[in-house]
Amino acid sequence: MAFETGHDSASKMRFMELALEQARFALENLEVPVGCVIVEDGKVISSGSNRTSETRNATRHAEMEAIDTLLEEWQMIGLDQLEVAEIFSRCDLYVTCEPCIMCTTALSILGIREVFYGCANDKFGGCGSVLSLHDSNSEKLPRGALRGKGFKCTGGLLSEEAVALFRSFYEQGNPNAPKPHRPVRIAQEAE
Amino acid sequence: MARRMKWEIVHVPGEPERSLEVDTVDVFASNIEPKLANNIVRQLNQVVPLENLRHVKRVRRRTAEGKVELSVILCLSGEYEKDAEALPRGIHQLISAYNLCPYRAKVAKHAAISKEEWEEQCKLWPTSYHPSTNLDGIATLSEGELQLIFNYMDSAIQLTKMSYAGGKVQNAAVIVDPLRGQVIASAHDQTSYPCPLTFKTSARGGCVDECGVTIASQSDSNEFGNNQDNSVKKFALQKCNEYSGVSCLNPWGWTTQRASHQNSSGKSDNKFSWHPLRHAAIVAIENAAARDRELFPGLGSSESQSEPIDILPNPSDNCPSKRQKIQVFEELNMEKEFLHNSEPNELMRPYLCTGFDIYLVWEPCTLCAMALVHQRIRRIFFALPNPNAGALGSVYRLQGEKSLNHHYSVFRISIPEQNLHEIELNASNNSSNKAESKEEI
Repeated sequence: MAFETGHDSASKMRFMELALEQARFALENLEVPVGCVIVEDGKVISSGSNRTSETRNATRHAEMEAIDTLLEEWQMIGLDQLEVAEIFSRCDLYVTCEPCIMCTTALSILGIREVFYGCANDKFGGCGSVLSLHDSNSEKLPRGALRGKGFKCTGGLLSEEAVALFRSFYEQGNPNAPKPHRPVRIAQEAE
Repeated sequence: MARRMKWEIVHVPGEPERSLEVDTVDVFASNIEPKLANNIVRQLNQVVPLENLRHVKRVRRRTAEGKVELSVILCLSGEYEKDAEALPRGIHQLISAYNLCPYRAKVAKHAAISKEEWEEQCKLWPTSYHPSTNLDGIATLSEGELQLIFNYMDSAIQLTKMSYAGGKVQNAAVIVDPLRGQVIASAHDQTSYPCPLTFKTSARGGCVDECGVTIASQSDSNEFGNNQDNSVKKFALQKCNEYSGVSCLNPWGWTTQRASHQNSSGKSDNKFSWHPLRHAAIVAIENAAARDRELFPGLGSSESQSEPIDILPNPSDNCPSKRQKIQVFEELNMEKEFLHNSEPNELMRPYLCTGFDIYLVWEPCTLCAMALVHQRIRRIFFALPNPNAGALGSVYRLQGEKSLNHHYSVFRISIPEQNLHEIELNASNNSSNKAESKEEI
């Protein structure tokens, strides 16, 4: 990954640090340590961390948490679908691990502008690892398939920190995994 | 084409259909007189039985220009390739006795594992197809199980009836514990909330084009095309406008569903009056998780690893988080009954939806299909393919992605025409309601 210099790169690191903070919060709560922040106009407007254990709902990924907070807020103040779509189209997501296939689809549906992630997600990743749902041009889709909205996606931002958190999580064990559980391979680091 | 009257079930494999290029072996065959067929076949079976080609039919019957033409396989040609004289003596005798003219033909080397493969094989030479040798698990389903499966699918279809948004049909999901014969959760799309005034936007642009695409790809698609009834296509064609309310068929369409009553009474117990990601399967998973928390409070939370095993759930205990409050149990009575009849304990508590099945009217998109991987659903049954964005064979095929840590089995259920009409009828009933409300305005 080419390193950018100056203010832009620094602020990206700052946002990813905030996402990592969310991931650490998840780890403290014995959740899979993934965290994210959503940024609009250089400001963090929402954050989320994985809550799959607490909710017993394996779809409650950090991204979904952060998205729901926004949708709830915006509906409360009476924004309609077009207005909400317009804001999302100016938002970027910083997440410690590559969004899974589900979350990538969600981000495409919402029409987010850009995604920055830490480590790659070899098993579930929807931004290039397993599928490339963020890229509306790359897939050879069968005729008739709708092309989703794509978004720009950059990996490898503070990935060592993200991987380290996964490592601590799997060392402490997932208390909610079925027994006996297989050893879990830690997601490979992105370059 | 015949009207589909029966419920049928088809496995949707993780691999795209095995390459339809049929693996073949060469044989010598000959046309024969129909009235001699019995004799010749009996003798051939004695002289050169086709031991390793049991799936291949010895005789091919074709009608050409109104005339029936029978051909028979004499023997494998491979070893006699260079020296036709070396054919078994019995074959020579038959050839001269009946004035046969042997020619080379190709037949399928292996028994077909899918109906589609079998159809392909038969273009070369007829074979027999025994679904019971399928690896897909349908064969292991008893009649009783099949009936239950069809009933659950029917209940999902009924659920589409009860849920419309702006006069549009929605997708519905029912999660079932097949061992206990119990409905765990059910839901319909909640991407837009029922609002009689939203229909105006639906007539505009987008949908018609998308539906044109839908129809085209349905007739082109190899995947489901073979099982696709004309009636389904016709249905799709007529009802495409109402279909645009099915979240998985139109995941990116939420921005066109501008609700005019954001804060009206249309807002339900749900904290979202609309939500682009609340597809039926997602909501069903949420309801199943809420049920789990309700039935087994404390057992799964972080501090509770040493909880005694035999706990009676007490709803007032363990104050529900704000997320739980939004849950409305559709099967509240069932839940209560369940609590009275059997005391839930840790042993009964499933890990997520392990062992559960989900019934969906439409094939899910990647959002929903991946959510179902995460939640460890065991089997997915859907009725109608989703050529726009389907993730279980139509566009993607998540059940075949090896890297995923969980793999469910996927089945498509072909529903009888009359049930299709039911959905259709509902849509049009609703359209007329729509029209009425328009007049009132």
